[in-house]
Amino acid sequence: MGALTDKYCIVGVGETPHMRPSNRTTLSMACEAVSKAMADAGLKPSDIDGMTSYQAGDSTTSAHVATSLGIRLNYCLDILGGGSSTEALVAHAIGLLEAGYAKVIVCFRSMNGRSGRRMGGQVPGGPIPVATAEGDNQFNMGWGWTTPAQRFGMSAMRYLHDTGCTTRAFAEIAVAHRYHASLNPKARLRTPITIEDHQRSRWVVKPFRLLDCCQETDVSAAIIVTSRERAYDLRHPPVFIKGGYARTMTENPGWNYSRPVLHYVAGNYGWKRAFGMAGISHSDVDFISCYDAFTFTTLIQLEANGFCRPGEAGEFVKGGRLQIDHELPSNLSGGHLSEGYTHGIQMVIENVRQLRHRADDACPGWAEGKHTYDRQAGCRQLKRARICCGMAWGYENMASCLVLGGVMS
Amino acid sequence: MPKTIDYSKLRIIPDFDTQEWWEGTRQHKYLVRRCNQCGHKWFPPLFPACGKCASMDIGWFETAGKGVIHSYVVVTQPIVGAFIGTVPYVVAVIELDDCKEADGTVTRVAGVLTDEDSEAAIGLPVEVIYEATNDPKIVMPRWRITGRVAGAWNFDEHEARGGGSRNS
Ligand SMILES: [Zn+2]
Repeated sequence: MGALTDKYCIVGVGETPHMRPSNRTTLSMACEAVSKAMADAGLKPSDIDGMTSYQAGDSTTSAHVATSLGIRLNYCLDILGGGSSTEALVAHAIGLLEAGYAKVIVCFRSMNGRSGRRMGGQVPGGPIPVATAEGDNQFNMGWGWTTPAQRFGMSAMRYLHDTGCTTRAFAEIAVAHRYHASLNPKARLRTPITIEDHQRSRWVVKPFRLLDCCQETDVSAAIIVTSRERAYDLRHPPVFIKGGYARTMTENPGWNYSRPVLHYVAGNYGWKRAFGMAGISHSDVDFISCYDAFTFTTLIQLEANGFCRPGEAGEFVKGGRLQIDHELPSNLSGGHLSEGYTHGIQMVIENVRQLRHRADDACPGWAEGKHTYDRQAGCRQLKRARICCGMAWGYENMASCLVLGGVMS
Repeated sequence: MPKTIDYSKLRIIPDFDTQEWWEGTRQHKYLVRRCNQCGHKWFPPLFPACGKCASMDIGWFETAGKGVIHSYVVVTQPIVGAFIGTVPYVVAVIELDDCKEADGTVTRVAGVLTDEDSEAAIGLPVEVIYEATNDPKIVMPRWRITGRVAGAWNFDEHEARGGGSRNS
């Protein structure tokens, strides 16, 4: 086990609703999320002395949030990044805590991801009227190849070719995550779907249909990281940071498409370090989260992180394996596909709630950890939730992972 | 007739690292970057150093502009205004025929096919063509299928037959 394993904890989580549109500033939403995370942890503004965030030039800063809430920071930093950033900021927080730069650190994301800047450059009203292509865009905008769906689709198509599986494997992911969203009052899309519903949904970019693609929402979410000693004094059972990897890259990261295998992704380079640090094997993992910008991205991360062999994820996910009460429940809040879209931080939040045994579901006693486990009645708490492996990525070229453990671990 | 792209709705801004590449397409030459020290080739030319030996002593290699479709997507929903009238269109990643290196390294490029999506398939040979834009300094490369080969892999056919054996 790593020297820092179980030494630091996530002690507070909070988020705004997933809105479209929010009609609010990213600053207003971030203040709400950070306030809720502080209240969740039982911390006051004066207890917080570090704050970090990630964004894509589309959001407020730590300094604005801290100023608004009367927090005097000993450390603040806002980085550029989307998927895989939350886990990297947690790794970064561990370093700051270990070195004594700060004692209690908030990490947040705030984005008007639907009403403001959308991924791939689409403007709220539809296509970009006149597009200017400079920098990287010189070599994609001119061939009408800009959005994450269009880019990931290229790897997904080759994956189907190489493995022989069909888009029915993608459907398994959509069905599983939607089922979990049906148990989550906060989720935007809560009506359960079938594999046939997926197969009938309209094309966005072949090989992806509408039900392969995540939501776009306006939302902010925050988590609070501190030391184990401090965590024991706070409101909830601590959730321990056991290991991970952070923004691990593939070779040739800026241009994926000349790599030998398009769907051999960054997680392949990281998971042995993460599992070694945590001192666990795959069989110890009770549940997972998997960055689901698209159904396919979940599929490929299972392979990259060693949950199944290369090319076998399509077979692995068959028969509802990723659904609650099956072998490897994934994205218990519904994920990006069905809950909403936060560039990954919501996965960490759901994992924390599950590990605390306090999933905020339809059970009247959830806040005290009292659950019925009756899925018909809307309970989404796992019976056994001791170790979680959270997997995230940006593009195929970059990935993070966060192994978390509950107090029973 | 190939479906047209409305280049009047697209403005390309070449930069220090890419202006010679755009000068190449203007002269109907399809260039990739080449390292003057070790011969490694790469695309796109955004990267100003060699990924194999880190040299910044770099030049160009004029390819024959021929290759094989390595993967593709069919865009049905336009995001960039220039493509509103083009959907559905195929964007392909193309492995160039004449850029293979001794250690197995390949160079792949991307572009829009002139062909219908029902015609597209992994494994098919393609070649570059050039299209004028409203900006006299910018000529856009595009790709067309030049033949049929046995075993080419089309997405719709794959789905219709319920998948198939592993190909890698
Ligand atoms: Zn070189």
